[in-house]
Amino acid sequence: MDKSPIISMKNISKTFGGFVQALREVSLDVYAGEVVVIIGPSGSGKSTLLRCINHLETADTGEIWVDGIHLTHKSTDINKIRAEVGMVFQQFNLFPHKTALENVMLAQQVVRKRDRSEAERVARMQLEKVGIPEKADVYPAKLSGGQQQRVAIARALAMDPKIMLFDEPTSALDPEMIKEVLDVMLDLAKEGMTMVVVTHEMGFARAAADRVVFMDEGRKIEETTPVALFENPEHDRLKLFLSKIL
Amino acid sequence: MVSSERSSNRLIKQIGRRFSRRGWLLAFFALDLLIIYSISNNEKLIDAWSFVIRGIGVTVQITIWAFLFALVIGLITALGRISKNVLIYNIATFYVEIFRGLPLLVIILIFAFVVTPAIVDWIAQSPLDDLAQTIFGANPETITTTVLRTRDIDSVWRIMLAFALTYGAFMSEVFRAGIESIGHGQMEAARSLGMTYVQAMRFIVLPQAVRNVLPALANNFVFLLKDTSLASVVAVPEISQLTRQYSSNNFRYPEGLLVLSFIYANLTIVLSTIANYLEISLQAEKREG
Ligand SMILES: Nc1ncnc2c1ncn2[C@@H]1O[C@H](COP(=O)(O)OP(=O)(O)O)[C@@H](O)[C@H]1O
Ligand SMILES: [Mg+2]
Repeated sequence: MDKSPIISMKNISKTFGGFVQALREVSLDVYAGEVVVIIGPSGSGKSTLLRCINHLETADTGEIWVDGIHLTHKSTDINKIRAEVGMVFQQFNLFPHKTALENVMLAQQVVRKRDRSEAERVARMQLEKVGIPEKADVYPAKLSGGQQQRVAIARALAMDPKIMLFDEPTSALDPEMIKEVLDVMLDLAKEGMTMVVVTHEMGFARAAADRVVFMDEGRKIEETTPVALFENPEHDRLKLFLSKIL
Repeated sequence: MVSSERSSNRLIKQIGRRFSRRGWLLAFFALDLLIIYSISNNEKLIDAWSFVIRGIGVTVQITIWAFLFALVIGLITALGRISKNVLIYNIATFYVEIFRGLPLLVIILIFAFVVTPAIVDWIAQSPLDDLAQTIFGANPETITTTVLRTRDIDSVWRIMLAFALTYGAFMSEVFRAGIESIGHGQMEAARSLGMTYVQAMRFIVLPQAVRNVLPALANNFVFLLKDTSLASVVAVPEISQLTRQYSSNNFRYPEGLLVLSFIYANLTIVLSTIANYLEISLQAEKREG
């Protein structure tokens, strides 16, 4: 088994606007095939941590390696790494001027340089996989939230990423649509995709997570297995947090 | 009694609304027909018309070329205005501030009497002289014996840049607003898929931004068309200049100006209607989706 982590973050700190300390000395290793769930109260730095992994945010200090590449090094081609790291956003961020199929095809053509027919073949396969092949020619505005998020997942998967990042993928969804998105994510976890997931869906954490990370005020407070987390949370803050969301 | 009063009120409002949309267009075209009728039955008006209309080509030419240049200039400047590069941002901002701050009339005078002569002098002393003379249609036999002079440059081109740069500055603000109206999530989603900044702009942000500002661009086109009348101050033979020429020769100001207004109004009404249509269909699209 490959012992070196696919994502390695060492002492990451990030400050916004000179005083908002979003991350304080956070370290995290993720191994290939692992599912890591990040929980914590709003504003605790979960999104910022996730966004540092694909360099949507630049860490002030600390070092990040993704798939053996030094991300915090100046000469690194960020776009190359981003193509290997899929990201799913809370607000879906589908491209509204393109159909579901075109949403899934575009980056394949532009970034992966696949030709049209190949990109379309992959896109249809991915839409099939997330369970909405019949919506291929529909524009995002005509899709429900759950369907949009599944297209967004298909769009990321079509790039054949090695890692998938999810930032509260179900938080903007109506309750009845949460399951359809979580089911897709559970399938993905079963297939062995490396996933880092910010979510408060404890059902998902229980079912899929190898590890759960609890963050508060920019710090990594606890890192443990889901079972240990729910059965004997160590810190008071975590207990308080769990009592609120469970 | 009360209810019938209300319903008649509603009826009036409805008629008012209808009238504001299509009615005034119809009224305009009725008036149009009337004017066409009177022009074609009045020798003085026919005379004025046939003199002034010779400038329509120049008016349209300035408008379209300046607009196309302004589109390119405006888009590039807008990208400069949102750039994180301090130098690029400041150059773009400086340009916009200058051209928005000066009256168009003054800019036209500067370009006609300062900038163009300066460029021409510079070309005349450079090895490009013969080539430039060929391009601007000098007599082939004199090219080797003369130098390029300002009057060799077609007057249309002498002021084209003034319009293009002024409207480029206006339209850069339109484009910038359009780009900023697209949520940051679009750029992030595109970048997270591995697209470069340029690719994300080209495929994701700009197509949406440009759609949103189409009506504003169309309105700018209308303003530009009307502003070309200012070219008459440097004797560019567009329709306003020809009208002034025509009327001052024979004191037929009412005839000249009637014909001139008739031409402008017809051009702008058609264009405004297109702009309006763009806006309505864009709004309908937004409502649906
Ligand atoms: N782009 C930004 N500019 C300024 N402050 C930010 C920005 N992004 C996040 N923050 C701040 O950083 C802190 C952590 O934010 P975030 O990582 O989004 O937390 P979470 O995802 O856990 O809710 C918050 O205080 C937030 O206000
Ligand atoms: Mg967040």
